[in-house]
Amino acid sequence: MSGKKKKISQYEQVKKILNTLQGKTVPSYQGLHAFWLDPETFITASLYGQRLIAPKEDSDSGQTSHGCCGSKDSSSVPATTKQSTKNSGGCCGSEESSTDAASLEPAVSAVQQPPTTTSIGDCWPSGGSGGGGGGPTQKRSDQSAIITGLKGHYPFDGSIFPKLLWDAAAVASADQIQIIANWIDADCPLTLEEEQKRAAKVTEVSTNNSRLALANGELLHQVSKNKTNQDHRDNKGLTIRKEVSSLTPEELGTFREALNCMFQYTDYWQDERSFDYWARIHTDSCQHGWEQFTTWHRLYLYFFEQKLQDYNQDIALPYWSWTDYADQNKNTFNNKEYDLGVLPKAYGCYLTQKGLDKLKDKKTSEGKSILNKKEISSLEKIVKNGTIYNSGLRFLKAAGIPYEIINVNNVAVWSDKIKAIYDILKETNPLWFPNRWPGSMGPLSQYPTKEDINLLLSLDNFGDFGGGPSYDHHYGSLEKVHNGMHNFSGGTNPTYPDNSDEWKKIYKNLKLTPDPQSKENPIYGWMTDNRITAFDPLFWAHHSNVDRIWARWQELHTGTPQEMNAVLAPWSMTVQDTMSIQKLGYTYMKDSVFYDVSSKVGLVKFNSAPTQVSTNTLDTHRKAEIKIHRVQRGNLQNAHIRVFLNAPEASIDTPTKGNDHFVEEITTFHGSCYGGPGHCNLPLDKTRQFDQRQLHHHEPRNYKINATDAVQRILNNGAKDITIQLIIIGIDGNQIDNAVYIDGVSLNFMD
Amino acid sequence: MDNTYTTFKIHPSIGIARLGNTDDDFYLTPEQPGTLPIACDEMGREQKDKKGNPIRVSSFKDDNDLSKIKKQAARFRVFAYKNEEDTEGEEIKIGGTYNFIYQTAVTAPRMVEGKVTDIDWTVHLANKKASWYEFQETDGQEGYAPSHPLRNPEVTQPDLRRQLIIDPGPLTVNLKNNKGAFAKFGSESKKMDASKHKKVSYPQTFPPSDIQPNSIETLGSLMVNEQEKNIRLIVLGGNGNSGSTNTPVIESFVNNDGWFDDISDGPVTAKIEYTFTDITYDGDKEIKTKTSGTMDVQVPAWVVVGYPRYVPEMEDMITMDEKMYDLFVRKMAYDPQVFGVPPFTQENNSPKTQEEFDIWRNEAHYNPDYYPKFYKELWPQLRRPDDFKYTFVFDFFGGGDPHNRGTGGNLNYETLSIPPKNGEDPYYRLRQFVLGIMRQTNQLNDYEVEGNYNSTSNKPRLMPMLCGNNPLSNTAPEKFLSMTETQLFFLKQWANGKFVNECDEWGESNKNCTNPWANPPTTGVGINRGVLSNVLGGAFCPGGELSWIVDNPAIYSEPYRIKHATYIAGGLSIPQPIANTDGSAAPNLAEGLEPGDLTKYIGIPWQADFHECTFQNINITYEKWNNIYPESIGDPVEQQIAYNIPWWPAHRPIVVPESLNGSQVYWASGIPNNKAGDLQMVQAWKDLGFLIADGTGITRQFYQVERNNDALGDPVKPGDRVLGQSFGESNKENNKN
Repeated sequence: MSGKKKKISQYEQVKKILNTLQGKTVPSYQGLHAFWLDPETFITASLYGQRLIAPKEDSDSGQTSHGCCGSKDSSSVPATTKQSTKNSGGCCGSEESSTDAASLEPAVSAVQQPPTTTSIGDCWPSGGSGGGGGGPTQKRSDQSAIITGLKGHYPFDGSIFPKLLWDAAAVASADQIQIIANWIDADCPLTLEEEQKRAAKVTEVSTNNSRLALANGELLHQVSKNKTNQDHRDNKGLTIRKEVSSLTPEELGTFREALNCMFQYTDYWQDERSFDYWARIHTDSCQHGWEQFTTWHRLYLYFFEQKLQDYNQDIALPYWSWTDYADQNKNTFNNKEYDLGVLPKAYGCYLTQKGLDKLKDKKTSEGKSILNKKEISSLEKIVKNGTIYNSGLRFLKAAGIPYEIINVNNVAVWSDKIKAIYDILKETNPLWFPNRWPGSMGPLSQYPTKEDINLLLSLDNFGDFGGGPSYDHHYGSLEKVHNGMHNFSGGTNPTYPDNSDEWKKIYKNLKLTPDPQSKENPIYGWMTDNRITAFDPLFWAHHSNVDRIWARWQELHTGTPQEMNAVLAPWSMTVQDTMSIQKLGYTYMKDSVFYDVSSKVGLVKFNSAPTQVSTNTLDTHRKAEIKIHRVQRGNLQNAHIRVFLNAPEASIDTPTKGNDHFVEEITTFHGSCYGGPGHCNLPLDKTRQFDQRQLHHHEPRNYKINATDAVQRILNNGAKDITIQLIIIGIDGNQIDNAVYIDGVSLNFMD
Repeated sequence: MDNTYTTFKIHPSIGIARLGNTDDDFYLTPEQPGTLPIACDEMGREQKDKKGNPIRVSSFKDDNDLSKIKKQAARFRVFAYKNEEDTEGEEIKIGGTYNFIYQTAVTAPRMVEGKVTDIDWTVHLANKKASWYEFQETDGQEGYAPSHPLRNPEVTQPDLRRQLIIDPGPLTVNLKNNKGAFAKFGSESKKMDASKHKKVSYPQTFPPSDIQPNSIETLGSLMVNEQEKNIRLIVLGGNGNSGSTNTPVIESFVNNDGWFDDISDGPVTAKIEYTFTDITYDGDKEIKTKTSGTMDVQVPAWVVVGYPRYVPEMEDMITMDEKMYDLFVRKMAYDPQVFGVPPFTQENNSPKTQEEFDIWRNEAHYNPDYYPKFYKELWPQLRRPDDFKYTFVFDFFGGGDPHNRGTGGNLNYETLSIPPKNGEDPYYRLRQFVLGIMRQTNQLNDYEVEGNYNSTSNKPRLMPMLCGNNPLSNTAPEKFLSMTETQLFFLKQWANGKFVNECDEWGESNKNCTNPWANPPTTGVGINRGVLSNVLGGAFCPGGELSWIVDNPAIYSEPYRIKHATYIAGGLSIPQPIANTDGSAAPNLAEGLEPGDLTKYIGIPWQADFHECTFQNINITYEKWNNIYPESIGDPVEQQIAYNIPWWPAHRPIVVPESLNGSQVYWASGIPNNKAGDLQMVQAWKDLGFLIADGTGITRQFYQVERNNDALGDPVKPGDRVLGQSFGESNKENNKN
């Protein structure tokens, strides 16, 4: 179009096209006549039961769950209430009330039986029709009778109605149809202004197009930006406890936020929302040195995690995979250099600009700034570099701020300045703990390596692994390793007199008697003391790892504690209840990468973007598993799903034999489904408390594919990252686009 | 040309010829519902007007002799279909080029492009009535009990039983050998035979030549004509001769031992002759040889001979096309948009194998979103009864006009054709009323509408108020007729406001919107259905041209196509109990039908049942019983009778206007209403008048022409009691009594 021409709106174009096509005579169109000239009619009316312009998708889904009979099929519902008042009085075909029997002739009333409708409606709420029941979701225009009609598609293919427009002067060209379709897919703007307003939303429309491109493997499925647990929960999967270094900044942020919130209730330690409430349970009830060590702590973590999930349901306790840090800790374990032990960075000590700003505002009781200029500039450097320190002492040292203890009523406490700094550091990273000096405690056993843990896992009876029963109690080997890590992570306080000649003098000057259990300057880190260990947030990651190792041992062995019916106080659950972590709703993964897949479109080829998992995960994982989430079952054809890695060009013809990229072929086994309309729909989510029914037979199912060897082959061949491809093949060997409807694919790495 | 060979099909799939007793004058079967037959020349070439439309015949008898009825010829053509998508096809012509499969005894099949030179048409007519079982209403629909009586039961020797079949053997004709006769070797009728293998002998079977009153030496004849390069087959049926080996008497309306008639049916196959240039190589040298080949038309047809259609322009309440359509829709995925598995598209409803059909039949149902078209699918059902007032007096006592199509009438199209518009549906109640009085398929034994009603007024009667498949015996009674399930589905949609008035919507581009059949069909399917629309589609007791066997999906190879069985010359099948005695061929529906297998259910001689099919008093005391004997136990039950329920007013007129605007007379005046009348009809059928129509719309009226008063006497008016004259009333009796 020439730039000089006045730009006309899409709707004006649509009207013009339809006017031209129709020509001089306009048929009845069931009394609508030139329906395109009146936007309200055009957008809401039906022509012989065919909705001219499909309702917007969101309004459609609203009908699905709450509607009355047949409302799911919006095309069969009269478009306006005005139309529906006449003969279809009530819901579900109860039409007798709509006929005024008294006024009828007797002979007429004799035959006024309620009309038996040929179709029963689908008035049962469900989780929606899914891929098999309803077919892939199309663009709004594709569901609009004006478009199917102009194209001459069913039912406008002559089978029920002739092609639109009727009695027309001309037949619509593909371009003309496209203009109308575009207008509908832009949600039918009536003016130029509306078009511009909606231009922003056009991206949404394009998702419909990209859906198809994604389902055909033409576009890459990107790694989900959601929190791992949001994706897994959305797909009705277990909560994933990840290795702490695999937490995304958002996941870590939420976890820290939750702990900070808990810390605000510290003064109310009987309130379950208080962190102290949970830490004190260990103080009062912890089980060590016998078989309930594993089981009691499993429940302890479970209930704490449940509480955290009350705060934010995406939270799961991360685990601290000790052995990942074994190399780095070779030199930090058995020597006299204190607080050099390497812990997961998430638990380190650091400062942010926000924290620094707060510190700058802090005043002493005399109204002076607590930090001098030099200190501020060093802190600014630390903030800028983002350095993370193993302990608070190391942080202070880097900032050139001396660690100060004062004597308050003969108790050693932090000076106001140190307390102020520590408060800000704790707020900045609630996972850091002041009384933690990881590393050497003098001559101790070795830092556990992968081999050590494997040895542990090779123990073939529960007693050896997890401890003995009350009548023959003894430590299990797991607990022994665990003990060492408590001590390593708590470490030795370099500023305690016993450990430092300098601090002997300071204490002497302050007229303080060293107290090994001092609250603010104890001899060892609190992790070393089972009375107070749970106050250190690292405790939870540490015990997650203990729990994980036991869970792994359970996968390999069948042994259990001997007293299975024992109750694990303070909870009312028994040892037996702790035997399955899956039943408790969680599992462990080193990392999990999720790709969201639209089940509205039949999958032909899934082609993923790289996983972007850490080199550490690629290097150290024990097992790699591909999970296909929520594969729909209702009334779908069977198909093969071939799984490849790093084969973006894979197709039906890609060989599988001798192909390093090939992982596995799985075959679906569905059946046709019998029942009333809507019978094949997805089941409703289980939301009712007392719903104890089994897995619904149309609940979409999952496939797990062991990809460990394949991942290893790919990495050995020099790959730096992993991509996943799924190729869908009909059981006849041909491409098929309506057999596989899934909600997601994940690549999961296990330690 | 694409690489697929052409599919050839014969149309119509089931052709209809009709008996006549003129020597050589005939006309062609109409191919549109309710239309007059087509005029043709002596070789069956269609006569056309200047616009190219067929010229219609309105005189059905010999120009000089009202006792001679012209035959109606069945015309067949071969259509070529390019591929599976081609649903319309095109009639093949001499010189037309198609892909053929060429095969000789020594070469493998290959595809060649050839030119059509001729068609070898082969037809095999036979009449198996006398060799078959007795017709006993619904008995036999699901197979015959071993005790089920045979016609001519004394003939139990298999070879003698086969002698009861009239089997002249097959005939092959083409443009060069263009005439054939299904006549006895050596007979007068055989003399005109110039068919391709006329000298090939065949173990013919014919009735004894001395049967009375008329002997049978032929079942009809064939000819081939060329019209505008099209090569067409013309099939003519018998002469309407019926006779008995005994002193002729009629004992039953449907089973009469010793009798034969010359009704027939049988397969129609064709072989296309073509030539092509065969290229062979001698070294590098190309040798072109003009070669001729033949190829069988893959989809063959059937021909049925019926008795004359005396009121060609009046449609039966249910046509054979509608009857079969209903079966094919429900059982063979013929129109999935009407009946199928959702979504109701063709792609989703194309069962091929038996297993796929089983699954499909299990899951398919009527499409609740199907919108029937008013003039195509609804109006014929509603307008037909009004025509019957020209062949039947509806209410002798009340004189009402229940089917009034005029303003204010129950069946006024001006109100019935208006669908809901803009939420307004002023005629909803009227449509519901009409639906409410239509007999549903589960009300076959109900006379009146059920439900609450004001006891002081009469209950409305269920419609159609016509006899059903069995108002006679106590085996599976079906006292009354209902429209087909599919027609009732259309009505239900209509009553609920789901229908389209074609004239509202596409009347501008189709001026014939009120009559979708206004133009002669051009497609093969259109011809198939058009021909069958003039055949009676019920009730079947035993029926007009065909009986209830048409309701059995086993007899079809595809919709509208009869499955062809293989058989050996002179070895047509006979009822199983006798066939078993020497191991000869017994009927096997799964394998297909043989010549004579479609018409063998019809009464013998046909004239008896035809005469009796006027109306009937039906005992409606009990739903499940037609015959009750309360007096035998002194049961004081008050019997209820539905009086004067007509059979097929369009197929067998009862009371007709003597002339245009003339007074009403009994159509069969002169033929008494008794068994003697039945016997008289064996001769008198040729003297009866035909009815033609005058006018259009609701002013259209029918009146009688060409009645042979010289033979039958002047017609009698209802109410005039004249000695020896018929009232037209005649009740069929349960033939088991």
